[in-house]
Amino acid sequence: MENKNSLKDILTGRSGRKIKEVITAYAFIAPATILIFIFGIFPVGFALYVSLHKWRIKRSDFIDLRNYVNAIGNLAYVVVFFLGVAALFGLFLLFRQILKMARENSEKPWLTILPGLFYAGTTFAFFRWFYAALPEVLGIADKLRGMERSQSIFMQFLREALRAETVLPAWRTFLWLFLASMVVGGLIYWFWRNKRTMKYQSFFALAFLALGAGVGLIYYTFQRVSAAYAEAFEAGTDPGIWPQFISISAGVFLLILAWMLWQRAPKRNSKGGFLLHILAAAALLVGGWLLIGEIPTIIASGDKDLWEGLKVTVFFSLGTVPFQLAIGLFLAVLLFQKVRGSNIFRILYFIPYVTPGIASAAVFQQMFSNRQSAPVNMFLKFLGLQPQQWLYEPRGILTILGDTLGFTVPTWAAGPSLALMVIIIHNIWTYVGYDTVIYLAGLGNISKEMTDSAEVDGANRWQVFRHIIFPLLSPTTYFLSLIAIIGTFKAFNTLWIFRSNLALGTTDTFSVTIFIEFFEKLRYGYASALAFILFGIIILLSYINNRTQGSKVFYG
Amino acid sequence: MAEKQLQKKRMKFSTQRNIFTYVILLIGVVISLVPFVWMISTSLMNLGEALGTAFFPSELHFENYAEAWRRADFTEYFVNSILITLITLVGQLTFSILAAYAFARMEFPGRDLIFSIMLSTMMIPAMVFTIPNFLTVTWLGRIGPIPWINNWPALTIPFMGSIFSIFMLKQFFAQVPDELFDAAQIDGAGHFRFLTQVVLPLSKAPLMVILVLSFIGTWNSLAWPMLVTNTPDWRPISVGLMSFVTEAGQEINLTMAGAFITILPILIIYFFTQKQFTESIARSGLKG
Repeated sequence: MENKNSLKDILTGRSGRKIKEVITAYAFIAPATILIFIFGIFPVGFALYVSLHKWRIKRSDFIDLRNYVNAIGNLAYVVVFFLGVAALFGLFLLFRQILKMARENSEKPWLTILPGLFYAGTTFAFFRWFYAALPEVLGIADKLRGMERSQSIFMQFLREALRAETVLPAWRTFLWLFLASMVVGGLIYWFWRNKRTMKYQSFFALAFLALGAGVGLIYYTFQRVSAAYAEAFEAGTDPGIWPQFISISAGVFLLILAWMLWQRAPKRNSKGGFLLHILAAAALLVGGWLLIGEIPTIIASGDKDLWEGLKVTVFFSLGTVPFQLAIGLFLAVLLFQKVRGSNIFRILYFIPYVTPGIASAAVFQQMFSNRQSAPVNMFLKFLGLQPQQWLYEPRGILTILGDTLGFTVPTWAAGPSLALMVIIIHNIWTYVGYDTVIYLAGLGNISKEMTDSAEVDGANRWQVFRHIIFPLLSPTTYFLSLIAIIGTFKAFNTLWIFRSNLALGTTDTFSVTIFIEFFEKLRYGYASALAFILFGIIILLSYINNRTQGSKVFYG
Repeated sequence: MAEKQLQKKRMKFSTQRNIFTYVILLIGVVISLVPFVWMISTSLMNLGEALGTAFFPSELHFENYAEAWRRADFTEYFVNSILITLITLVGQLTFSILAAYAFARMEFPGRDLIFSIMLSTMMIPAMVFTIPNFLTVTWLGRIGPIPWINNWPALTIPFMGSIFSIFMLKQFFAQVPDELFDAAQIDGAGHFRFLTQVVLPLSKAPLMVILVLSFIGTWNSLAWPMLVTNTPDWRPISVGLMSFVTEAGQEINLTMAGAFITILPILIIYFFTQKQFTESIARSGLKG
């Protein structure tokens, strides 16, 4: 009944206008969406494809996970396996959600499994076609070499590429599955008309996608691992994947368990709470011991440049973020006390942030030059200290400090190199103003009544800050720390300007390492694998930041 | 009596604290600005002074700027950078305004899905995109009528679709009251006319911020221009400054002049727009 009406309505005014509006909307978003797709979404799939190949300027053999194994050793297998496990866990969560929804509305959604299956199948078929067609389409450029670039020739090659014998069957499967899922989806929608039909269908589709991905990844890792064992058996060595696998998984599992127990434990001093805390601490210790025991093996089997890069990045993050936030907060609190001319201060503090980093890095490079007469070395002389090599100094700051004070610091405790310190200082200098401005806005949102009433109750200024202002600023702190940490992992431009061969790579963060692999060593496949590892680390960091800090964020 | 004394004490305390506050704030200003002062003063020295210990030049050598400009070929790099920025901005603003308007004020199937997929790509580090985009751009140049490498398309077109600009404009467009649209519709205006004649004149502030931020972004980009250009024909100022710094080496009075030349346009734009700029940054930051 309702449906008939809407069919009729299409021909009359109201629905016609609606369709026109939808078409206008698609036309409006088309240019931006197409560009973001080509240069922002498609590249993710393309980079994955590149990372699974030996690829130096030109594509060579498909080598599955070996780029990743070269980078992080057997850890690659462990990570892929657990990605599969995570997908299966997602399947479980989806299923629970579906059951809950079905129970709440007392309906039987089982018929929608069928379209869900078809949708998931269509998606997988699409990716199969995508990866089959990609090399053929890329190859067109080579075929066109030396030929006249006309549209008709290109279209002819494109047709040939899409009809290649590896591509066409995949396309046909996709097409049939697509048509079938349209029909099935439509039929189910027709038979079981319900507000939630589409929701159930998409949930089931997601569940099947998770199932396929999970089973596929786990099966794939097992296959790879047994292949690696077979290879090692022939060479007479032991790849040692299984023991490593077991201890890493057990370690991670125990750490998660410790975290969960700690969270569950009641705050008050009860016997149960005490027991839970003890258990959590034990799990933490054993898990941590297992993981720390594995670290040397992993590092030994991975790429040395990568671990160095990671270490430098961690130093860079830890050296920058806390100081930058603390100084920014301090200046913001000072500025907030109705200082005369606070607007001018704000404008001036913001200048380093808007200055092109390349230019300010060039200035810092000269201020921290190794010349005796450079400003910073002059300042050290004025303080009665030795001039330093700064950006050309690969030795760690603690080693240098130890040398001047007359004792030796072990190599593992050398700390960030002096060259990296210059970069850290430059980074803090750049971002303090930005943090100040955002903290100022955050302070402006705190109601005056709260701080006033605390002062009436006899709290001193420090207590007001510590117990009222700082907790109320936690959303701002959370936001700024997340941006700053991710920023240090992504930073490239200034690091490239500051880079000098004399610093012996002690300023090469993860991003710089990737760029060198790509730009100088021309290892496209390996660099893509590294970029994905960086992506994984950023996701992990945001997740941890979200879990640990996000739960404490207080939205007053 | 006692109360008066207390008040006096408090006042004295607060003036002391005020002085302390100002001193700290001024130290902050000095630290923020010393590199700029040193840069400008070094850029006006002769080479001997610049390599010496002087902080201020004994006489002003403005000819350093002319020499740095000539030696670094800044004319070419400036023209390149301005062209790249203009082309990128025109494309980015047009496409972002249209898309943001549709996402904010129109209803169409898949709206939220498309938007959230695009938004989720903001987390991905640029290094993941760099390699495939370089391959894509090379490919497009080899199959298309014009080359992309060493040419403007590679430097501008990939940046025309900006999810950040769309996001920021969408937030703003969604706040335009519905009554205005109803009134416009009664007057017979469609979406496009409503957008150009009502919404855009109301959104000068966010447009200005996007303009300035994209300007800074383009002015400051280094890795991508290094990849897609290998001749100076289309190289932007960032790459130009970098090669000048390596080439001029110890002639730091010239490199500092070059650095100042690079910074100046951004500073001028910042001082003209600083009010909207800092406020929008603060607001966008709070939304997180």
